[in-house]
Parts: sequence; C-alpha cells; structure tokens
Amino acid sequence: MDNRSSVLSPSPADALRLEQVSFTYAEASTPALREVSLRIQPGELVVVIGASGAGKSTLVKCLNRVIPAFQAGAFTGDVWLFGRHLLQERVGELAGIVGVVFQDFEAQLFSTTVRDEVIFGMEQLGVSPEEMQERLDAVLALVGLTGFEVRDPTTLSGGQKQRLAIAAMLALRPQILVLDEPTTDLDPQGRQEIFTLLSRMRAEGYTLVLVEHELAAAVDADWVILLSEGQIVAVDRPERLLPQIELLTRYGVRPRDLDRICAAFGITAFPRDVDTAALHLREIGEPRSEPSLPTSEQQPIVPLLQVEAVSHSYSGGAPVVTHATLSIAEGEFIALLGQNGSGKTTLAKIVSGLLPPTQGRVLLRGEELGRLPLHRVAQEISYVFQNPDHQLFAETVEEEVAFGLRNIGLETAEVALRIEEALEAVGLNALRTHDPFLLGRGERQRLAVAALLALRPRLLILDEPTTGLDYPEQRRMMELLRRLHAEGRTIIIITHVPWVAAEYAERALLMVHGQLVWDGSLRGLCAQPELCASAAFRPPEVTRLGLHFKRTFLSVDECLAAFSSVAHQPFRSDEDHPQPVS
Amino acid sequence: MALFLYLDHRTFVHRRHPLVKVAALLLFFVSAFVMEHPLFILPLSASVAALILWTKSTPTLQRIRVLFLFIAIFPVLIWSVFYRNGTPFPTLPFLPITQEGALYGLGMAAKLGTFLATGALFLSTTRIEEFAYAFTLLGLPYRISFTLTLAFRLVPLFLESAVTVVQAQRCRGLDINSGPLFQRLRHYVLVLIPVFMGALRRADQMSIALEVRGFNSGRPRSSFQRAPWTGADTLAVIAVLAVTALYLSLWSAGYGRIRSL
Amino acid sequence: MWENTRLVVFTAICASLYAAVLIPFKVLPIIPGVAELRPANAVPVICSFLFGPAAAWGAAIGNLIGEFFGGMGPGDVFGCTANFLYGMAPYKIWELIGGAEPPTPKTLSAWARFAFTLFLSSALCALVVGWGLNLLGFVPFAVLGNLVLFNNFVSSMLFAPLLLAVIYPRVARGRLLYHHLLPARPTKSRAVRFSGLALLTCAVVGGMIAGNLLASGYWTPSLLVAMGWETQSRAAEVGLGLVPFLLLAITGLALL
Repeated sequence: MDNRSSVLSPSPADALRLEQVSFTYAEASTPALREVSLRIQPGELVVVIGASGAGKSTLVKCLNRVIPAFQAGAFTGDVWLFGRHLLQERVGELAGIVGVVFQDFEAQLFSTTVRDEVIFGMEQLGVSPEEMQERLDAVLALVGLTGFEVRDPTTLSGGQKQRLAIAAMLALRPQILVLDEPTTDLDPQGRQEIFTLLSRMRAEGYTLVLVEHELAAAVDADWVILLSEGQIVAVDRPERLLPQIELLTRYGVRPRDLDRICAAFGITAFPRDVDTAALHLREIGEPRSEPSLPTSEQQPIVPLLQVEAVSHSYSGGAPVVTHATLSIAEGEFIALLGQNGSGKTTLAKIVSGLLPPTQGRVLLRGEELGRLPLHRVAQEISYVFQNPDHQLFAETVEEEVAFGLRNIGLETAEVALRIEEALEAVGLNALRTHDPFLLGRGERQRLAVAALLALRPRLLILDEPTTGLDYPEQRRMMELLRRLHAEGRTIIIITHVPWVAAEYAERALLMVHGQLVWDGSLRGLCAQPELCASAAFRPPEVTRLGLHFKRTFLSVDECLAAFSSVAHQPFRSDEDHPQPVS
Repeated sequence: MALFLYLDHRTFVHRRHPLVKVAALLLFFVSAFVMEHPLFILPLSASVAALILWTKSTPTLQRIRVLFLFIAIFPVLIWSVFYRNGTPFPTLPFLPITQEGALYGLGMAAKLGTFLATGALFLSTTRIEEFAYAFTLLGLPYRISFTLTLAFRLVPLFLESAVTVVQAQRCRGLDINSGPLFQRLRHYVLVLIPVFMGALRRADQMSIALEVRGFNSGRPRSSFQRAPWTGADTLAVIAVLAVTALYLSLWSAGYGRIRSL
Repeated sequence: MWENTRLVVFTAICASLYAAVLIPFKVLPIIPGVAELRPANAVPVICSFLFGPAAAWGAAIGNLIGEFFGGMGPGDVFGCTANFLYGMAPYKIWELIGGAEPPTPKTLSAWARFAFTLFLSSALCALVVGWGLNLLGFVPFAVLGNLVLFNNFVSSMLFAPLLLAVIYPRVARGRLLYHHLLPARPTKSRAVRFSGLALLTCAVVGGMIAGNLLASGYWTPSLLVAMGWETQSRAAEVGLGLVPFLLLAITGLALL
C-alpha cells in the first residue's frame, strides 16, 4: 500500500498479503482480476468498494483459495495468510484461519436450529465437545443471539440470519473475517445490527475485510480500496478517499451526500458524520428560507385504485396488514416504506391483485379487483419481484417479453411491435437473442421490467428495484422509472434505499407492524424524525443534515441551492447529480 | 406456513433420546406388522392414539386426515377382490367377495392406519436433527445424514420460490391451475424452470459456504453430544420392548391370523 | 461422489426439489386418485441426467423427506430403494445408448432411445416398490406396480424433455454436469455394458409380467406349493417369485 515499505519476503506481521494476483474465468476473454497486490495488517478494517464487475467478489474468493479450487480459470500470483504461502490447500483446510460471510444468507445456513448451525463448523474441525459449548455460548453472546439456541433459523429476521452466519464463522476462531456485501439484502434495521456488531468485533481486535456498496460503512475503516475492472485504482485512508467525488463517480461508486456538500462549498475538513458536517456548514451561514413549494392542490378526478379497510393474515396467523385504507390516483409516484416484516410486501401484493385480502376490498377504477379476469388485471397492474430470476425462464430475451403478450392473446404483429417497444425502453434491444440466464443482474432486472412493460400496465409496482445493483445501474433503473412516470404511468416502489425514495417518489406510505402510519408527502414524513425512527426509516444523510437547519432537503441539489446564496466560497455545483460512466 | 409435522412441545415423549424414538417407531411397526386380524391390531392403534393425545399431536392427525380416509377405504376394496379363497357372504353370494377377504382388508386398513398414526406421532415429536443423529449413531455415514438435514432445510426455500414464481407468472397473465390438461402441463414447466435454475444458481454459493465452514477440511470430525441418555430412556425402551415381545409371542403361538371360516 | 462438496449440495438440492415440487403443484388427474401426472415424478429423471449419482441419493432422500410431511411407514424402505434406482438408471442407460448426445432428443431415433431409457427406469422403480409392498402384504403388485410404472413413465416423458431442453444446456455451459465434477469412471467394454443393458431389460420386463401373474394368482411357483408356503395375500408368492428378477436387474445395472 502506498505509504508502507515494500517488503520482499513475506512477514508474519501481515495478516494477508497478495502479490500480483490475476484471474481469468474460463470462457471469459478478459481477466476479472489483474495483478492485484495488497497487504493487510492484523487488527485492521479494510473496506473494498467498486462497481459491479469491478472484481470485488473475485478478490474475496482469492483470499482463501475458493479461486482456483472452485472456479475453472487461469490463476496466477501469490497469496500469504499470516506468513503461510497458500499453494495446494483445500478451502476447508483454511476454515480456522479465514472466515467468509456472504451476501446471500440463505445459502450459508444449513441447519434447522441456531445451535446446530453454530456447531456445524466446529464439528467439521474436530473441536472437543466441551469447548464447543463454551464457544457456542461466547459467539451467541457476541452477536446478540443468546436464548435463540433452539430456534429454527428460517424464523429469524434477515439481520438475525446474517448475525447467525457471522456467529457460525466466529465459532471457528478465524484470524481474519471477510464479509462480501453482508448487508445488501437487509433492511436498514438489519444493516445497523451488522455494523454495530462489526464495530464491536473491531474493538476486540479482529482483522476485517468488508466489501460494501455503501460508503457510509467505509468511514471508520483503516483503509479503503477502490477497484475497477479488476485493478486497484486507489488505496487510501477514508478521510482522503471519500471526498474525491469525481474519482468515486467515475468508477461507479456513489459518493456520500456529506462529502458532496462539503466539496461543493470547499470545506476541506472530513465530515465524519451528519453532526460534524452540520458544524462545518454552519460556518458558511444559514440556508435561505424555505421556498414556497408549489402546492399541488389539484384533486385526482377518478382514483385508479381504492384500497378499503384491507386486512390480511396468512393461514390463521396474526394479521400482517391491519385495516389499511388508501387511494391511488393515476400518475402518482409512491414509495412504500417500512421494515422487513412490517407488511409492506403483503400490502403491495394485495394492491396488485396477487393476494386476495382476508378482509376489505380493492377497487380498480371502481370495480372489485378480485372479480376481474386475470388477463385484464395483467394489462392494468404489473408487479416486478425483487429477484428477477423468479420470473425469467425463456431461452432468449425476446421470448421472455413475448410470453406475457401471448398469454393475453395478442396477434403476432402486435407482439413484435410491443417487444420492440419494451426492449427499447429498458435499453436491451441489442441483446434480443441472448440467454436471459447469462445476463448481468442489472440487465436481468431490466428485462423483468420489460417483460411486464410490454403489457402496457397503467400501474407498475416494483419490489426493491435497486437491490443488488451498483450505483450506475441503480440510477439507470430509477431514471427508467422516472421516464415511465413522465409518460403517465403510476409507479409504486417498495424500497429500503433512502435516497431512492427521496429523490424519486412524491408520496410516501409508511408501514409499522401492519399498520399504515403515514400516507402523505415524502417531505412531510422526513420532517418528522421521531416517526421515521419508530419505523426504522432513516432519511438520507442530506435530509438529516437539513434538520439541523430546520429544513427538509430531499436531495443534495436542494441543499446546495439553499446554501448557495449565502456561501462565502465560490459555489461549485455538480450538475443535476453525479453522472456515472456507464 | 407450517410445512413439516413437528410440533414444539416439551412432553415426556419429545424429550426422549433420538435412539429411543427410532427404536420405538420400528418396534411398533414390527408389532403391528405380524398381525392380520383387526381385533389384534386395535390395542396397538389405541395405545398410539393415547400417545398422540399425551404428546398434543392431534393437529398432525387433523392435517393428514385425508390419508386416513383413503386408508380406511382402499385396502378393504382391493383385498376383497384380490383375496378370493374362502367363504362367500351368505346374503350376497353373487359377489366375488369372501368374508375372509373383507376381514383381511379390514385388518390391513387397521394396520396401515396404525402405521400412519405411529409415523405421525414420531414426526410430531422428533426433529430432523434427532432423526439424522440417531441414524448416525446407528452407523449411517455422516455425509448422508448431513445431506438429509440440508435437503430438509432447503424444502421451505424452494417451496417459497415456487410460490413466488407462480405469482410472477400470474402478473403476466398466466394462471397455472386452469386450462385443459396439456396446457396446464406446459404451465407447470414454465414454473419449474425458474425454480430449478434458482436452485442451481444457489448451489455453487452453498458449496463454497460449506467448505468455508470446514466441510471437507480433511480433519477428523468431532461430535457435539446432543442428548444424554437417561433412566427414563431405559424405561421407555423396556416398555416398548415388552409390547413387541408380547406381540411376537402371540404371533408365534399362531394368534392374530385370519383362518378359513 | 461424497468427497465432492458440490455433489453433496446437488444431492440435497435434488432431494428437496423432489419433495418441494410435490406440494404446490396439484396433480393432474387422468383417473382421479389412481392414474395421475405428477411433475415431481420427473425430478429424479431430470436430476439423473444432470447430476448422475447425486440424483440417485437425492431421489432416495427426497422420497424420505416427502414422507416427513405425509407420514412414514415400513414401506418407505422399499420406496427409498426404488427411488434410488429411479435416479440411478437414467444416466447410466443414456451414457450407453445416448451416443454422447445430450438428453434433449430432437431426432426420431433419439426420442426412441430417450423413451426406452425412461421406460426402463420407471419399470425398475415400479418393480421394486410393487414387490416390496406386496411382500409386506400391503398392496397387491398388480395394483401398485402397474400404477407406479404408468405414473412415472408418463410424467417423466411429459415433463423431462421440456425441462431438460432449457436446463441441460445451461448447466453444461456452467460446467456443472456430473461428468465435469466426477473423475472419469473406469470404462467397461461396450460388450459388457450392452449385456448389462440386455440383462436389465429382460429382468425388468420379465419381472413386471411375472409380478402381475404372481399377484393375480395365475402363476404359483411349484416350489412354494411343495413347501406349503402359499399365502392368500400372495405376499410369499410375489416376495419370493420376484427375487431372481430383482437380482438380475441389479446385476444388469451394475454392469452398465
């Protein structure tokens, strides 16, 4: 790394050392990792960032010989773990040395009780039964799952599942723990649980390598590594790397709101958190008074959908949605917010007609949804599932889109026309004959949208449309939705990503324990920190910063505009928002 | 959705050592198996019913009640036809059915019903880990019993994905459970493909996660002691053995068979 | 096979797919309660072409797990064994007569060989289940054996080709087929393997015919009469009479 002397012989002082590591997947033409060299010392927290395809996961797999043991391809270079040169080891042999936690927690839990899950690895390594009990108690206490020993992991929340996966790793006493996007599939609450745990582990002296897509996690790191196209493009302390807005944006990483704001006003001090940033910003002055917002007084003529006193419970269980009433007008852009398990997905499925409510009714233009024939509902309302793989099955992209059109009985010419139109809209026209299975995650997500878009629905409901996508892909997806909205479609997104909701949606629905606790403007919701906190909804950094000045900014641009007239420094705007290279 | 039959109560039966439960299951099977006459099977049925009440497993019976109905009718019909030797019914001499055949069918219904109830009792009181653990103690290779528990854990995952796929296809105007036979068949295929592909996409990740946790580490395995053997376990085994011994001696003395009338 | 972590996972996946697919799909009845099409019955066959021996174990374990939400009984021993063979036979037979083609038939000849593979596998499974449950005296072979044969063969003929056409090429591209993961088996001579196939075919077809004759009372081996072992449920007749056929079938499969 930049300011450490290069030592030619491996020293046991390095927890991890990579020299000139390259890897090319079999059947790929370009390397996924090119001549990566790095050294990590014991007790350090290193955060790896970069866009999709930058080589983050490939790098992680090289650390404990998953590459080349599991992956066909060409591997060159050397890896040392605590001075041990890795040559022919099996992945399992390194289990007590490197621990790895993955994004998909379902794929790393194998047992039907919490206790068995933790014990599993220890049994493989031949830990003595007495010691197993000791370690079991210790790791469950560390991750906060004491008392859950006989629970079935499937009944845990996402955050608890991921903490269990970490506990199962820690029971093996690894000297270094690698976490590959551990929070991507979690809600804000679960994410917070993991970060709290990580800082506790850090205090206990663990060496941690964390792959993350959100920079908030990198603030407390010792080092941040920025990868692009398989190469390290920057390694630096967070306070030096995070403020480099252009560099980050160029390589497909979303800079923090705070860094963007400080950079725009020439504040050189590192804004570690919202409070620090507020202090610095106050030196510039107070923001202009709230501009009178154009109050949208026009009442919707005919509501598209009316949800009347809807409740739902699954086969005799406790109700997951209680007495929800709301009305959706044509042309709205709504964010449906709430923790996992708050009932928002159930409500969305009821609204889309996928799930008949156990009580109450849903009216589509005045007609009861449950009584309409399926082919009609399919042309009015579309539901895009979180995981695109649940809806893709055809052998070509084109076939995938054609499927729904044939189901509703359209003629060949019309089908062809609509395929063209839908693929054009999502930018997949060039891939018409490709196998959907081989597309990237972002492309599959867009294909899933196209397949429904072709039915020309009036209402599109999307469950977590940005999960698993990197920043450029997230922007692309959201800009697509903005365009569809501008064309007059009604959009509802279920999302955990605060900036996505804040920048795109106009109206917010917030659910807590199955109840709709907020139905109104998103700005209004953000102005109520207590309500947000009670629902574990954390508004974007810029919004929280604004609250220090009694303002509710929904985007960095709003904030910049409010402060621009009072700034002593020449104000440097970065256009609309940072445009990533695609 | 409760998929499996296990009910998490902590009764005397639930707390027994896994080996005791497996042994009791097998011994009950043997006891019922050697009897043909319904009257000799009924005491066993009654004791299983009592155990079901004691262990609060009645919801399980509720769930599989259709199977009981099936078992009550099917064997009587089939065996009345296939068991031809014997005395015809005096009132219905024209039917190709004998009294022995009908009695054998009734006995078979009682037997199969007892098997089903015993199985239900076992599954309501035994976790899959206990089941796998007992068989590992009996010499089943560890990897096979591990695969069993892993497969068990994956079922709800795949089921959920199948349900989601069905819903996703609905959004595109496809109702998988309607239409003529061959159309429905095609629809099933359209649901099965994403379920299969999703499972395979996960497989690689799971193999890696397994090895990272030390699977295939090449080191000798150790085993966590999950259930200590207690005096109550010994008593329970003795009780079940006594029942089986009684039934086997009845059988060897020639009781419980169906004789020509 | 058990040394390869991937194949262990594939075994678990085959098993849980087999069990999971049983639940959400209604069976498509032809004669309700008797003859029906179950998508699940095609799973062992599909997995066999993809994952080879992992499918055999997967089918056996999946059958057991299926019992975990229905209820178990003494017959499950035979159910598991039969399903093991049902998952084992297709890939072995196809390796010999498939002519190095993928199991996604396109020509008439390929379809014929594919159908033959599935028929033989289904019949092998039916023979073992039918034999076992009649041996226990539960259900006559003439009922269960024929039903299992019909349901397995028709379900797998309908579902397997459609699914394999999409899934097989993708798994092959990912280099995750069993022959990518397993060390090459020591190859027996084609003469030995073809005689194995001939043996298997004769044993299975002969066994199905014999089973029906034995169970319905048209044939009673004279040995049993001489020993005085005749039973009304035909348990001894079917139980002993089919043993030679079963032994020959297993030998044939082993030679493949």
